[in-house]
Amino acid sequence: MTVTEPVPTSREHRSYDSLPSASPLGAPLDWKWLKGAKSEWGVRPKIGPRGLTMLDIATGSYGEVPEHPPHRSMAPRGADVDPDTPDMGYILNNKTDVWAENVTELYEEAVARQWSATRDIPWAELPELPDDIEHAMCQVCTTLTEVEMIAADLPAKWMWRMNHDFLEAKMFLCTQIMDEARHAEVFRKRALANGGGLLMSRGSSEGLLRTILEAKTYHQATALMHLLGEGFILDIFRMGELIAPSPVEKRMFRMAMQDEARHVAYGTMHIRYAIEHDPDIAEEIHEALDHGEVVLTQFGTNQDFGSALAVLLGGGVDFIEDRGFPLQAEMQRKQFTSYLARCERAGISRLHRTKLPLDVLGIDPATVLAN
Amino acid sequence: MTSKIDITDLSLYRAMAEELNAHPETFTVLGEADMVLALVMRRDEGSDFAVRIRFEGLRCEAVDEVDASEAPLADYFLDGPLAKWQAMFDDIVANGAASGRQTINSLALLATNAGDVRLRGDDPMGVDKFSRFNQTLQEYLDGAARVAVTA
Ligand SMILES: [Fe+2]
Ligand SMILES: [Fe+2]
Repeated sequence: MTVTEPVPTSREHRSYDSLPSASPLGAPLDWKWLKGAKSEWGVRPKIGPRGLTMLDIATGSYGEVPEHPPHRSMAPRGADVDPDTPDMGYILNNKTDVWAENVTELYEEAVARQWSATRDIPWAELPELPDDIEHAMCQVCTTLTEVEMIAADLPAKWMWRMNHDFLEAKMFLCTQIMDEARHAEVFRKRALANGGGLLMSRGSSEGLLRTILEAKTYHQATALMHLLGEGFILDIFRMGELIAPSPVEKRMFRMAMQDEARHVAYGTMHIRYAIEHDPDIAEEIHEALDHGEVVLTQFGTNQDFGSALAVLLGGGVDFIEDRGFPLQAEMQRKQFTSYLARCERAGISRLHRTKLPLDVLGIDPATVLAN
Repeated sequence: MTSKIDITDLSLYRAMAEELNAHPETFTVLGEADMVLALVMRRDEGSDFAVRIRFEGLRCEAVDEVDASEAPLADYFLDGPLAKWQAMFDDIVANGAASGRQTINSLALLATNAGDVRLRGDDPMGVDKFSRFNQTLQEYLDGAARVAVTA
C-alpha cells in the first residue's frame, strides 16, 4: 500500500466541496467538523513560561462559563453541540451551584504541587519514640485516616450531578479526591511505619462524616465539608509542627496542610460566589452549619483524638495536665476562631448565630473580625 | 557565635531570592507558587520596615522595599514587631532552618495580638495562599541561614 505524504499547506481557508459523502462502510459524512462547525476558529492562546495552563486557554468564548448552561450533556463547553445530545441527569445546572472565582487557578496549583507519600516523606528517618508518644501519634493518625476519605467520597457523590460546562470545578474536585487519597495513605502509613498500629475508632467521628455525606444540597455539603470539616482539619495540620515528635511527622503535616488549604480555599470562595449571586442560599447554608457545628464540637471533643493530641502537645502523658490540656484548649480556641473568620471571608457571618459555645471556648467576636 | 544579621537590609531578602533561584533542587519538589506577600517589621519608634516578595512559578521574581502602608496590597502580609522577626531569623541562622515554634506557620498560628507576627490581609483569596504555599515561603526564609554564612 502506498501512503502519500500529506502536502504541507498554509492555514488559509480552503473549500472542501469535493470530499466523499459517505465512508467506505456507507455511513453518511457531512464533514461539518471541517467546514461548518460553529466554533471560534483561530483562537491561539499565549503559552506562558511554565507551559500551557487552563487559564491560558480560557480565551475568547472558551473562557466564558455560562450562568445557566443550555445543555445537559458531556459535550465540551465551546463545541458546536448537536441539539439532540442526551440529558446526563445533571441537577447542578447553575453556576452558583458549584463555581468559585479561583477554581481554575486552584486546579493548576493542585496539579503543580502534587507530592508522593511514598517518596517525599523521609520514612527511614523515623526515630524510636517513647511508648506514650508513639501511641498518641498512632491514635491521631488512626482518626485522620478515618476522616480523610470523606473529602473524596463527598465530591464523588456530587460530581456526576454537576453540569459539564463547569468543567474546571469538576477537574479541581478530581484533584481534591487525589489529595485525599494521599492523605489517607500518609496517615495510614505513619500509623504503621514505626512499630505502632491503628488504634481506636468510635462513633463520634462517624457522626460528623455521616452528616457531611447526607447533606441534602451541594451548597450544604460544601459548607459542611470544605468550610467546617476541612477548615478544622487544616488547623490540625497547621498545628502539626507543635505535635510532631520528629521531622518526619512535621514534613507529613506540612505537605498535607498545603493541599488542605486548597480545598478550604475552594469552599470559601464557592460559598462566597454563591451567596453574592443568590443571597437566598445563605439561609440554606446557615441551617447546615447550625447542625454541623454541634456535630463538629462532638468530634472535636472525641476522647481518643482529643487526648492523643493533648499528649503530643504536652510532650507525653506526664505533662498532660500541666501543658497538654491547656495548650489543646488554646488550639481549640484558635480552630474555632479561624472557622468563624473563614465564614466571614465566605460572606456568611456566623457570629450571631453560631452554635459553638463561644463563652466556654473563650472566643471574643472582636478577635474573629480581626483575623 | 555569629553576630545578628541585619534584617532591615533589603539586600538580605534579595540575596535570599538569589539563593532560592540558584538552588531549585530544594524547592522545585514543592511545585510552582504564585503569590505576592509582604513582611512588615514594626519598630517602637515608628519608621517600620516592609519588604514585598513576589513568587512566580518556580522562582522568586521580585523583592522590593515598600512602605508598610502598602502591605495590604499584597495577597497577604505578615506583620509583627522587629524583635520577633529578629528572633525568627536568628533561629534560622543558628539551626540552618527554622526550628521549634520559629517556623512562619507556627508563629502565625500562635499569634494572639500585635505583639506577635500575625497573618493579615484584605483579600480572602490571598490570605489562603499563606497556607497553600507555606513551605515555599519557609524554604525562602530558611535561605537566610545559607546567605548569612556566605555573607
Ligand atoms: Fe485531606
Ligand atoms: Fe481536604
